[in-house]
Amino acid sequence: MLAFDHYRLKLDSTHKGLIFSFNGFISEGILFALGDALKKKMSADETNAVTIKRVFSVFVEQAQNIIRYSAETLAEKDLEINRISSGLITVGSDDGRFFVACGNVMRREDAKPLQARLEKIRDLDPAGIKAFYRERIMDTDEAGSKGASLGLIEIARRASEPIQFDFFDIDERTTFYCMKAFV
Amino acid sequence: MIPETTLPNTYLPARERSPEIDFRYSDNRLTMRGEAYPEDAASFFGPLLKEVAAHCAATQGQALTAEFQLIYFNTSSAKALMNLIQILEKAGLGGTQVHIRWLIQKDDDVMREFGEDFASELKHVQFQLLEL
Repeated sequence: MLAFDHYRLKLDSTHKGLIFSFNGFISEGILFALGDALKKKMSADETNAVTIKRVFSVFVEQAQNIIRYSAETLAEKDLEINRISSGLITVGSDDGRFFVACGNVMRREDAKPLQARLEKIRDLDPAGIKAFYRERIMDTDEAGSKGASLGLIEIARRASEPIQFDFFDIDERTTFYCMKAFV
Repeated sequence: MIPETTLPNTYLPARERSPEIDFRYSDNRLTMRGEAYPEDAASFFGPLLKEVAAHCAATQGQALTAEFQLIYFNTSSAKALMNLIQILEKAGLGGTQVHIRWLIQKDDDVMREFGEDFASELKHVQFQLLEL
């Protein structure tokens, strides 16, 4: 049963076209290692270099958003780079297009402003996304957001269609947030 | 008399997540090559930006060449790069002849677009986008 259960898990991933799926606590070190494996795998599959760069960029921004904004987080005092946070990140291909999806638990009070930002970004056309990126990069102090807006805009900029996102309320205080971008 | 910079040169070898930094203040030449997505972009770029600003203040009116050959940078690093570009623009406005060379791999439309974005912020700096 042990092997069968795990093989089924692996088959399920294969059928979904996944390159990898990570679920658990993620650190900056894991981000680097997963990103490295991702580049090597895509390169071995002879994926176009600019496509690899786009997928990698979406992966980095999503992974850093989990580390910085997941409600399930552990950080040593004043050592932001040692922070680990729980989330899910998946990279795969579907019908010849790559996708990167992420999910994490967050406080419901933080979900509202995030949803508004995501809706704004989703509804922009490519020229609008580019202009919004420029506006945010010039804004030297994004108080409280540790730069998240720019990361979300970067994801939309590398995507070939509008970003998808969803929220599932877990209880009165927490919600599960997830987003998916096709490159 | 043209004041000369007193800053020592800064060299940082490329690491897994940070670019090679070769800032030769003695030659008025700054070079950055590689990938940039350090764990903490502020602590990596912060001291470098301070140095460049100090150098520009001390060498107003001279020539300065900044060469970027970047493969990838994340959004935290993009903010720092924009700050650096603005320091150079300010130096240009103050009379320094700043020349930025933005080197990209052929067909790299991501880095090309970033170069064009940065160039559009510049009025007092010569900006050159070059394909390798």
